[in-house]
Amino acid sequence: MDFFPIALSARVSVTATALTMLTGIPLAWALARRQFPGRRLLDALVVSPLVLPPTVLGYYLLVVIGSRGPVGRLLDGLGVSLAFTWRAAVIAAWLGSIPLLIKAAQAGFDGVDVRLEQAARTLGRTEWSVFWSVTLPLAWRSITAGIVLAFCRAFGDFGITLMVAGSIPGRTQTLPLAIYDHVQANEMAQANVLSLVAVVMVVLLLIGVGRLARLRY
Amino acid sequence: MALLDIRLRKRLPGFELDVAWTSEASVTTLFGPSGAGKTVTLDCIAGLLTADAGRVAVGGRVLFDAAAGIDVRPRSRQLGYVFQGYALFPHLSVLDNVAFGLRALPRRERHARARTVLERIGLAGFERRHPGDLSGGQRQRVALGRALATEPALLLLDEPFSALDAPLRHALREDLARVLADWGTAAVLVTHDFTEAYRLGDRIVVYDAGRVVQSAPRSELLWQPASESVARIMGIRNVLHGTVVKATPDRIQIRWRGQLLEAVNSPSRSYLPPADSAIAFFIRPEYVRLIRKDRGAADPSHHMNLMEGVVVGEEDFGTTWSLRIRLDARGVPAQGDHDLEVEVPHLVYEILEIDRDRRWQFSIHRGSIHVLPA
Repeated sequence: MDFFPIALSARVSVTATALTMLTGIPLAWALARRQFPGRRLLDALVVSPLVLPPTVLGYYLLVVIGSRGPVGRLLDGLGVSLAFTWRAAVIAAWLGSIPLLIKAAQAGFDGVDVRLEQAARTLGRTEWSVFWSVTLPLAWRSITAGIVLAFCRAFGDFGITLMVAGSIPGRTQTLPLAIYDHVQANEMAQANVLSLVAVVMVVLLLIGVGRLARLRY
Repeated sequence: MALLDIRLRKRLPGFELDVAWTSEASVTTLFGPSGAGKTVTLDCIAGLLTADAGRVAVGGRVLFDAAAGIDVRPRSRQLGYVFQGYALFPHLSVLDNVAFGLRALPRRERHARARTVLERIGLAGFERRHPGDLSGGQRQRVALGRALATEPALLLLDEPFSALDAPLRHALREDLARVLADWGTAAVLVTHDFTEAYRLGDRIVVYDAGRVVQSAPRSELLWQPASESVARIMGIRNVLHGTVVKATPDRIQIRWRGQLLEAVNSPSRSYLPPADSAIAFFIRPEYVRLIRKDRGAADPSHHMNLMEGVVVGEEDFGTTWSLRIRLDARGVPAQGDHDLEVEVPHLVYEILEIDRDRRWQFSIHRGSIHVLPA
């Protein structure tokens, strides 16, 4: 029994979720709180990974990060290759999951009364301090829900990962891809174990977060 | 140099604010109907909204001057803002709420200062509670404490009683008056309730539809509203219309509903409308006197502005009765079914048996007829 897909999926989904938080939360805040040209367009664009077929996303992602794509060529020059590595799987998982975090966090930020932020400003706080001491603590529940959804989506990504990272056993074969391969090869016992691992991981995660959310703020 | 010097122009969707006022008073109230621009004014003073044009100076310090390109950031204006509904931080304890503006101090000192403030506003022992656990009155005090803890140059209060029910409003009005006097902080208070504006403000600035219609010391406003529209915003009853017979610097004669009324003119204002011109005036319902029938006939030389009429309607306000009087004059009554609203104490209503006896003579002292300049 090969447990590599489990380790890889854990590594990919945790890294991707960290990347999603780093990029998604500021973007969600900007969409909820700032007025800038192209805001509506961006607001529509960030949900596109949810509605486009994963293979279409994967195709365009490959065009961008492939060895002939603009980003791929730039990184090749630095000696880093993306396509068909575990890093490509991270980017695939990131792209598929970021809309879930952005939408949840945006709703969270929208739910914070602007009067509270204004109160903090009149009390001498900088914008940075207002965000950390008022906005984020009050939006935290929605953001946590978004992070959990994003993590689960990153953990389960199939289509985008297959397109940009392939399904190279021992290198880029994540858990969902491995399950598919086992079923194709009629290795039902292995498929069964990996599926069970996935179910247990997600259920444990949801229980843990459920506890966290019951805490007051 | 005035304590407050405010000039603001701000265009918002469907609304335009264009106001200018100054105040020396320690408490200035902005009074007017909802949507008149009072809160927009506070937001512009605090810097939460940026005016299109104008100037904001507090105690000589210029916080905003569109022409000079000055726009001090809200966090540097050193003003305390008590928002409508208080805007307390729900995720922080009472102590942390009050200490929120003291970030520059070390933690120990910050908490010590916040504790002192809580004691001063009567909330010692509430440090660890959260805003959600407090009553409306306690929340208001926390909001006040949070703003006052930073020792602001000016306190801004937006409808501080709107979130409370009636009996509490009265008690907290006196509470607030005491706290303001105790801390000695200058304040601008927004309200749409004239009693509140009068009770708390030394100067009242009357707002209507984005404009200032009058700015005066409170007693001047009470007796000399600048116009009929100010009187209506203040909720003054018996605002009436007549015709000028003769105006001199100290008297005005008015023809109204077949009566010749004599009113005191204000020499300071010296309002001298020409004869036969239309004139508005008001008579406070509690200043109309009923002539008792058991003390002989009324004497026109003693009882000024004598008239006679019938009670056509009445309302019981518990300690007082409001009577609607229709005068004997021909023609359409001045206010729908009646000419005058008269307020009498409940005791008088009972003694004179007004519920049975409906025909009365009335007299109004000339000093109780207040002319409203056009």
